[in-house]
Amino acid sequence: MKTYLLKWWQTIRISWSKYTAYRLNFFLQVVGPFLVFFFIKYNLWSSIYGEDTGQLIRGYNFDEMMQYHVWTLVISLLGQGYAAMNLSEDIRLGRISSYLIYPFEFWEFHTAGFLSFQILQIFVSSVTLGLAIFFGFLDLPSTMTLLHGFSFTFFMGFFWFTMQYFTGLLAFWLEETWIMRVLLSIVVSFLSGYIFPLELYPEWLVSGLKFTPFPYMSYFPAKIFMGVETNFMMGYAVLAFWMAVFAFVNHLIWKKGMRLYTAAGM
Amino acid sequence: MIKSFKHYLGVYRYFVSTSLSEALSFRTSFVLLILMDIFFYFSVLFSVDFLFDHTLMIGPWSKYQLLFFIAFMLNIDTIHMGVFSSNFWMLGFKIRTGELDFDLLKPTHSIFVAFFRYLKPSSMVTAPVAWGILVYYGNKIGLYWYDWLMIPPLLLMGLALLCVLEFILSTSMFWLVEGMGVNFLRMQMQQMARWPDFIYKYTYQKIFTIAVPLLLIGSGPVHFIFDKSKWPYLLGMVVALIISSLILIKIWDKALRQYDSASS
Repeated sequence: MKTYLLKWWQTIRISWSKYTAYRLNFFLQVVGPFLVFFFIKYNLWSSIYGEDTGQLIRGYNFDEMMQYHVWTLVISLLGQGYAAMNLSEDIRLGRISSYLIYPFEFWEFHTAGFLSFQILQIFVSSVTLGLAIFFGFLDLPSTMTLLHGFSFTFFMGFFWFTMQYFTGLLAFWLEETWIMRVLLSIVVSFLSGYIFPLELYPEWLVSGLKFTPFPYMSYFPAKIFMGVETNFMMGYAVLAFWMAVFAFVNHLIWKKGMRLYTAAGM
Repeated sequence: MIKSFKHYLGVYRYFVSTSLSEALSFRTSFVLLILMDIFFYFSVLFSVDFLFDHTLMIGPWSKYQLLFFIAFMLNIDTIHMGVFSSNFWMLGFKIRTGELDFDLLKPTHSIFVAFFRYLKPSSMVTAPVAWGILVYYGNKIGLYWYDWLMIPPLLLMGLALLCVLEFILSTSMFWLVEGMGVNFLRMQMQQMARWPDFIYKYTYQKIFTIAVPLLLIGSGPVHFIFDKSKWPYLLGMVVALIISSLILIKIWDKALRQYDSASS
């Protein structure tokens, strides 16, 4: 057991070194996009509310709208990373041959990489949260609210990783899996409430999304952080269900993919 | 001049045909790319549409004016995706691996090979969808015949400005080992330009119109289409294009001198 855990620890350390080797690149690739999108949202909502920051748009005044967007920024940083990006490359370039002989499996290696990424993102999102509080966008919620919010976001992060893992595994069949990854992030951004709170969407769409994982990837955790959402079990149950579905599908794809695998470059 | 133009056109014909053959060899990816673009178009349009269910105006523009602007930007995006975008991703890879050596040896200008070599033919399929969206919203706001005539050259002007700014940014890959982050920054530049200039606060508006003229890409032409007295926007675009092109030529030469040819 100790040796097994040591393998995980060493893999996490190696991944950490890889992520932090090119720090500017890491910032531009992982942190930059979310910050720029927040900058655009801040300007857009400032322009919509204008001078009348107290007016309510679907129950949100300007400050509440900004709070919502700061929380979605933190949630995206923590829960929607790019940790599974190299997975497809490993398959396409035949690098998984090494994992077949290592005493550490392919999924274990990439999950350890994901954990390392999460640790790094805790630091990044803490700084972001600190800055948001410093600039007056947020008041620090109670410890209990923070605890609920962060645990749900981490749980959602695992679900996101399972989905990313799924798109990566498609490299057994597809030449370019980045297309699936981008397609997935377009759909998730649109349906999760990352662009706007779901209250602004038509009701028929929101009610249709209830049992899909999407609202639980931005809107729901943001509402937990804002102290509004208290029905945590519903969110955990829906995400757990979809996580199990994707984990099962990933298992099947891996088995089928291994039969197709030609170990390019060997 | 004509001879040189013919030469470049001949080379470009080969770029198109090899890119087309390559794209059609991976048909699933080809179809997925089309799906991805269509999803993107409609997610952007629906987002703005939903927003206008709760507000009458954003800045000075009504719902259909803003949607026309978005459609204009989607058309720039489509041409950009089809003709240029792959090249930015490849440039980082070529610099890192030293493959750029082969481009530098070719009897054409290195900027031409670096930024025009790869095309994404799936955009040929999605382009009519983007045109359709533009025509739909153009009709909604009642454009005149002369406005329609102005749209193609204005689209090309916006595209040219976007590309030159991106070319300049991409030269930073010569100094960085990993070019992926620069490409992500480039995509954020596009993201910012996808919203009209007036949504940004005064200082940001000035910075991104004068220092880094990102907001001129779409806002310049569309402001002019809506109100002909706003011609200074177009003048600004021409000046920005000239200055940016000069900067590009200077910085590209400097970048090539920095290039250490990893494979050699």
